[in-house]
This record gives sequence, structure tokens and C-alpha cells, in this order.
Amino acid sequence: MGEGENRPRGTLSRVWAVAQKDAAQELRRRIALASVFFFAATALTLVSFAVGPIGVPAESRAAVISALLWIILFFSAATGLPRAYVREEETGTALALRRVTSATIVLAGKTFFNFGLFLAIAAVALPAFALLLEWQVDSPALLALVLITAGFGLSVVSTFLSALVARASQKNVLFVVISFPLMVPLLLSAITATIEASRGSLPGTALRVLVAYDGAASCAAYLLIRAAWED
Amino acid sequence: MGEWGNAMKFLKWLLLPYFAAFVAAAFLWPKPAEGFIGESSRIVFFHVPCAWTATLAFLVAAGYSLTYLIRRNPWHDEIAAAAVRLGLLFAFLALITGSLFAKVMWGSYWNWDPRESSFLLLIFLYGAYLFLRAAVEDPERRAPMAAAYALFAAVLMPFLTFVAPRITASLHPQTVINPQGKILMDSPTKAVFFGGLLGFSLLFFWMLSLEARTARCDRNQPV
Repeated sequence: MGEGENRPRGTLSRVWAVAQKDAAQELRRRIALASVFFFAATALTLVSFAVGPIGVPAESRAAVISALLWIILFFSAATGLPRAYVREEETGTALALRRVTSATIVLAGKTFFNFGLFLAIAAVALPAFALLLEWQVDSPALLALVLITAGFGLSVVSTFLSALVARASQKNVLFVVISFPLMVPLLLSAITATIEASRGSLPGTALRVLVAYDGAASCAAYLLIRAAWED
Repeated sequence: MGEWGNAMKFLKWLLLPYFAAFVAAAFLWPKPAEGFIGESSRIVFFHVPCAWTATLAFLVAAGYSLTYLIRRNPWHDEIAAAAVRLGLLFAFLALITGSLFAKVMWGSYWNWDPRESSFLLLIFLYGAYLFLRAAVEDPERRAPMAAAYALFAAVLMPFLTFVAPRITASLHPQTVINPQGKILMDSPTKAVFFGGLLGFSLLFFWMLSLEARTARCDRNQPV
């Protein structure tokens, strides 16, 4: 073992280490990761089958497609993101993780992994969605900004709630029950912002709400994670 | 029975004539507001206090949850849970009175108005708190998790009740919280309205005291 490996690591490097560990675990068990993308693809196909032949009237096209997109993204994320802490309890590694690093570092690392996973789901689902439903987006840059802002909030809340349900019974059902009402303001703002971005206009109010939601959720999760996970 | 118990007994007897006077005033004193069908505007004296008391109850739950996390006294956790249960009761009453008003004014009990929907989601939000409690059997593990959820929900609750309904257009009247920042009511209406807010708040605290005493009984502690 080299001398450098015994040096205490900085906060960011410990956060990165947790995110890397989660990524390595997920990639090792490819079936879990693949199931998230498979769910997104199935939901997407179902929506295309249902909406495609009927067609959406031009005046309500942006609203309908934006709502469908976020429903797909939310439920696809709900199949993968809650595993962050649940996996640690199932594999019996939670205690070891508690001993080697603080709850806030674990939260940050898992949030970043989940955020990466969300962006990967969006990167696959969005082009397929636009292609299948012939969705024209006037400002892709603004849409990317909306996806990043809303995706971060979704990742923070999902990761925190994953810590809460990890030691409860009926984890998967419980996660959906407790996450949906908390995420509705985020999803509503994301849908509103997506509608405006797809029309090429800056979604000022909705984007401000998303940033405020992200900030409030991050602070609350940071302050409460010890009670949720360590006790 | 201690001083607290005597105060609550006094409050119980105070609430009886107070509510009798309040109900009489609500139906007889102020004139029906303009722009509303018939006497439908009078429901504001019951609907808004119910909604306010539900919000107050959820904030009290957050307060007791925070106290639990600081002091680790299981009694505080039980009071927080009781406050959520009572909050849900008042939230249901607000939803029912709101639906009755909607039927008279807009022709349907449910109109998917952003405020109606956000209040329904508030019920889901705190119903989920009870689900979470039921899913964890060990009380020592359940209490910090429930407290963490109650505080997390309290931080995000304003986005649901204040921000989300204002992103989209609403049918809901804006007599109290509006862009002008004024209470758009005449003096008798204002008096009965605020009397209702006070009465329902006191009723909630009396009901919470009953829950607190029951919790103490369950723990074999003096009430």
C-alpha cells in the first residue's frame, strides 16, 4: 500500500467515491440497471401506441407531450432511484458504510449517482420520445436546462426518501406512496417549464420554482439524513 | 389532574358557547358576499378555518417532530402523529366544504382546480406519513424516521399549497391571500371570519390535548 493511500480524503473525493461505488455495484448487476431503461422503453412504446394513431391537436400538443414525458421520466426514475439505500440494506453493507463515512457524504454521493442515472434515462427517453411522437422542440438548450434542474430535485428527494424506506416493510409501494405527493410541485413546474421551452420561450417562473424547490429539498435532506438513516 | 388538565377542561366549556355564538353569527350577521350565488359565500366561515387548522396541525406536527429529534422523548413523537391525524381530519372537512361550494358556484363537486387538487395532495402527503409509520414496527426506529419525514414534508409543503396553485389559472376566490395583499371583506364578515379561525384553532388544541392525555395513559404516566 502506498503512502498516499493513507492520507485523509477531502469531502468531494469521498462523495465521488460513494457515487463510484454505487455505479460499480449497478454495473456489476446489469439486470437492475437494464430494467430501468426497459421500463422507460416500454412506457414510451405504450404512450406512442395510445397517442400516435389518435394524434394530438396542435394547440394542446406541447402540453400533452410535456405531461406524458414527465410521467414517463418520473415512473422510470421511481423504478431505479429508490434502490440507492435499499440496496445497502439488502446486501448488508449499510452498517459498514455508516462506519466508514458520514451520513451526509453518503447522501451526496448517492444523490450524484442518482442524478447521473436520471440524466442517462432522459438522454435515452427524450430523443426516442421526440422521434416517435414527432415532437418539435424550439429550444433544446432550454429543455436541457429544465431537465437538469428538475432532474436534480427529483434525485435529491428520491435519494432522501430511499433512505427513509430502506428499513421499512413494503419498500417499493411505500416509496411511490410517499414520493408522489412530495414531487407533484416539482413535476408541475417541470411540465410548465417544458411546455415553454418546447415553444422556445424562457420558462422564467417555473424555472425559479424548480431552483427554489431544489434548494429547499437539498437543505432539508442534508439536515435530516442522520435521523432518517443513522438512527 | 394538573394545571394543564384544568386549563383544557376550562377550554372545553369555553368552546361550547363560543361555537354556538360563532355558528349563529356566521349564518345571521354578515350579508352574503357579492358575486356569489345565494348564501354560498357563508361557507368561507367554515371552509377557510378548516384549511387553516389543517395547516396549523401539520406545522405543530413539524414542531413536535423537531422537538423529538432534539430531546428524543417518545411522547413528542406521539403528539406529532396525533397532530397529523387531526390535521387530516380538518383537511378532509376543508375538502368537503370546498366541494359543496364548488357544486353551487361552478356546477360540479370536483373541477380539478389547482387549489382543490393541491389540498387533496396535501392529504396524500400526510396520509403517506401514517403509511410510513405503519410500515416500521420498531417504535425506536419508527420515531426518528417519521420525524424526518414530517420535517421534510413541512419544508416542501409551501410549494404544494402556495406555489403550485399559482403557476396555473384557478377558479378559487382570492378573498384572503391575493396579489393586492388586502383582506377583501367588510367588517362583520372579517369579525366572524377571524372568530372562526380562532375557534377552530382552539378546538384543534383541545382535541390535541385529549390525544396527549391518551398517549400518557397508554404509557402509564399521570395525565
